[in-house]
Amino acid sequence: MAKIDVQDASIVFNVRQNRQVSLKEYIVKGLFRRSINPEVTIHALSNINLNAKDGDRVGIIGHNGAGKTTLLKMLAGIYPPTEGTCCVEGKICSLFDITLGFEQDATGWENIAYRSYLQGVSPSVLREKIKSIGEFSELGEFLTLPVRNYSAGMRMRLAFSIATAAEPEVLLIDEVLAAGDMAFQVKARTRMRELMSAARLMVLVSHDLNTIREVCNRALWLKRGKVVREGPSAEVVQAYMDDVAVRTKARQSRQSGELENAAA
Amino acid sequence: MIHHLKALWKFRHFLMALVKLDLRQRYRRSVLGIGWSLLNPIAMTVVFTVVFSSLLGNGDPITYAASVLTGMAIWGFLRDSALNGCRCFMANEAYIRQSPIPYTVYTLRTVLGQAIHSMIALAVVTVMIAIFHSNVLVLARIFYILPGLVLILMAAWGATTIAAFATVYFHDTQHLLEVAAQILFFLTPIMYTRKLLDDKQLGWLVDVNPIYWLLELTRTPLLTGHVPTLQMYVAGGAVAAALVGLAAGTVAWLQKRVIFHL
Repeated sequence: MAKIDVQDASIVFNVRQNRQVSLKEYIVKGLFRRSINPEVTIHALSNINLNAKDGDRVGIIGHNGAGKTTLLKMLAGIYPPTEGTCCVEGKICSLFDITLGFEQDATGWENIAYRSYLQGVSPSVLREKIKSIGEFSELGEFLTLPVRNYSAGMRMRLAFSIATAAEPEVLLIDEVLAAGDMAFQVKARTRMRELMSAARLMVLVSHDLNTIREVCNRALWLKRGKVVREGPSAEVVQAYMDDVAVRTKARQSRQSGELENAAA
Repeated sequence: MIHHLKALWKFRHFLMALVKLDLRQRYRRSVLGIGWSLLNPIAMTVVFTVVFSSLLGNGDPITYAASVLTGMAIWGFLRDSALNGCRCFMANEAYIRQSPIPYTVYTLRTVLGQAIHSMIALAVVTVMIAIFHSNVLVLARIFYILPGLVLILMAAWGATTIAAFATVYFHDTQHLLEVAAQILFFLTPIMYTRKLLDDKQLGWLVDVNPIYWLLELTRTPLLTGHVPTLQMYVAGGAVAAALVGLAAGTVAWLQKRVIFHL
């Protein structure tokens, strides 16, 4: 059984304005008590509650920087919650940042192996699967070349083929992936749909509200790391669209008001 | 802790595949392959032997060369593990941001790669000594030093892990470590013998040097065939245990926070 149980989870952390400090600076700062590189507190997520069980399809919507990806990464176990708890049961497959982290000097075949091992696949299972992953990518002889020589589209194809070869119970997706050329995109979409229907539980982050309404039964609207609204996807999407419309209108009337003032 | 080790075991294939890749990269990059990477310790040894063997050794250049090469191999392993450890999380950042697997996988990637590399240098020394003494039995001495090598491996993992986490918070760690390594190299009896310091009543400098105790677990048995005393094992074991303990503490303390600072 797959289950997501997030209780009152927050992610709050401090970063330095100038990225990192040196030990030298740290000591000097300690001696003179004068900070030239202040710490900034980031509230990436605040008091999130989310419960999902088998069969649920949860959509996450919100503006850029609202914390959608952070929430997804917390569910994947990459960001630990700094407060509260986040418990996900079931085999997780996460589809985000998949084109990053290829071993540049290794061949396509080798990278398939590394990625699969990273997903926890054993060598014996990999032997059965590796051929079909290679075939799905349609990269043919290019797979014997180092990934360094691949184009962005080829990397995307390879990454997509590896990532979607898993049989997950919990599927975490960031945006619907547009992979490769037209022909491959059709194939990719079919594969995605198969994956989505096979997964027991899915969390989908997308700006495409129609997709959320069609695919998901529930939705979560995030704003600055807080949940604004949660419920059936149609309702939440409608509320989000209304909000966007109201804001756009307000902005327009403000602008036109300014124009009139300027004219007068 | 058990949970951590279990997770580590689960991803052993990932780790071993990457270690294999690193070694292949390292040896394929040059025509001479393995020979090229041994060139540095061997060249250093030749220089030291020519210049210092009469000054710092006991006058026998071959014994001196073997002693220096062993010392350089072990010392180089510890130093390079820690220095490469500084870049370890940055180099594996893409993996870290994709999958929640134990950070130890990445530090072990660095350490195991270096370990295999250094084992090759040690094997060269052993063969060299065997040829010089025209005695095949010398090759059996490699078994004497196995416990010592395990302790050194543990110590190296500890140093690498601490360096890796420290670099995330203080980016000048590698630079400081290089300076420290340079100082330690001269404080450790690698190019000279301990006797030289003892004669000048400076033996305590060596006694407080943790590197010396790790080094002695392998160098003396390999060169002379004497099994290390229990006291030496205790000292070396204490050094390794301290480093591993510190590293495990660091992992437990920072593993949930370090990602926000990468």
